[in-house]
Amino acid sequence: MILVLVVVTALGFDFTNGFHDTANAMATSIATRALRPKVAVALSGILNLIGAFLSVEVALTVSNAVVRIQNSDGTPKESLTSDGGTALLLIVLAGLIGGIVWNLFTWLLGLPSSSSHALFGGLVGATIAGLGWAGVNWNGNGSKLDGVVGKVILPALISPLIAGVVAAVGTWLIYKVTVGVAARFTENGFRWGQIGSASLVSLAHGTNDAQKTMGVITLALIAAGDWTDTKNIPFWVKAACAVAIALGTYLGGWRIIRTLGKGLVEIAPPQGMAAESSSAAVILASSHLGFALSTTHVATGSILGSGVGKPGAQVRWRVAGRMVATWLITLPAAAVVGALMWYLGDFVGGVAGAVVIFALLLVAAGGMWLRSRLAPVDHTNVNDEWDEPAAVAERVPTGAVSR
Amino acid sequence: MSNLGFALEGAWKVLLAGLILGAGLPVLFALGIRSLAAGAGGGTAAPRPTGKVVAYALFAIVVLGVLLGLTVIVASGFGKTISFDQVYPAIVDK
Repeated sequence: MILVLVVVTALGFDFTNGFHDTANAMATSIATRALRPKVAVALSGILNLIGAFLSVEVALTVSNAVVRIQNSDGTPKESLTSDGGTALLLIVLAGLIGGIVWNLFTWLLGLPSSSSHALFGGLVGATIAGLGWAGVNWNGNGSKLDGVVGKVILPALISPLIAGVVAAVGTWLIYKVTVGVAARFTENGFRWGQIGSASLVSLAHGTNDAQKTMGVITLALIAAGDWTDTKNIPFWVKAACAVAIALGTYLGGWRIIRTLGKGLVEIAPPQGMAAESSSAAVILASSHLGFALSTTHVATGSILGSGVGKPGAQVRWRVAGRMVATWLITLPAAAVVGALMWYLGDFVGGVAGAVVIFALLLVAAGGMWLRSRLAPVDHTNVNDEWDEPAAVAERVPTGAVSR
Repeated sequence: MSNLGFALEGAWKVLLAGLILGAGLPVLFALGIRSLAAGAGGGTAAPRPTGKVVAYALFAIVVLGVLLGLTVIVASGFGKTISFDQVYPAIVDK
């Protein structure tokens, strides 16, 4: 019973992961009207689906980066499975709920935050609650980049900078190269360049992110004794995760697409291509080198960089600042939710505890969805002019916005 | 070595690869568009047929770069990685 809840919640997380991250690949193409909004999310969804099926390798040890609930071969720690896996399942369930709640909350605010950080945050919180501070892998063992610091915090600081520099250099050079070239050549050329590079980002996203959920579900199955093979994952898990992330992507987190595509900088086609190429190259290079990073941070850094690199472009640093603030609190905020959920689930106990926190998740998700209907953002108004709310603008000193 | 050391070590490699592939290829693409426009002429400029040839050569390099990216994605999905130990890329086990 708890296992069913874990699987459903994990698929729910995968879904929010998809719809939170549509913007990373497609915000630029939508903002420059290289693709119509509906076409863009459909393309991204299909590529995520393909990408998810392409990931044959098992990401069973995904949680090892931040918490100590698994052995190094991927099997759950024996101490957590002695009661039929309930202890481990509760930690995973509470962690997933923390991740989903934070994903939905940031979506409501239209802020792109990292889904992986939300998942890791939720797991860290649930683990602290369930096993104590020693259950968290803070710093790794010093032999490689590992732990909360090495896999989450440092990459989050470094990757947007790298992506920003690459995109800024790319944008600046592209504008230099195409000075004086007739618009009929640049418009069409950069349109295709943008679509191509954005597609690459979508595909990479599908292979990377769906794998994490597949790993979590398989871990839960092993803990409950329904699966023993640590080298493979059940096909239905892979199919379900692929479909969940693709559906989420297709539904599209329009609020976040709007922030990334219109809020940070006014994106022109050459910038869009430079930003997405930078994202694709940085994501692929770092996954090739085993340097874990978040697609969201990279995409945001790239788009900012494309604004810095274009001569005369205006960057809304205040919006950027709000995003960075969100990134900083993503891990602790998801951790707090994860921990609270664990305490509550543990307090009620057993299957009933899991049902209670699952019900709370449904209430929270439903509430945030209803709240979002008050000011809906969808494919019809995603490209409207970006107006800062006046009340917010007054609080900021004039010097801060005139850069 | 500390986490910070590992991170910085990885970071400059990613930056280098990012600059070459993430900024270099788009610039080649932009050069291709420029050549294409030059090849077609227009305005007061006379058409230059070599422009088109150069343009498609540049686009071909960009396509190769994209194919390399696709190979990395697909190979990593199958538990392989791309080795650059020889000059040309080769698919090897991770």
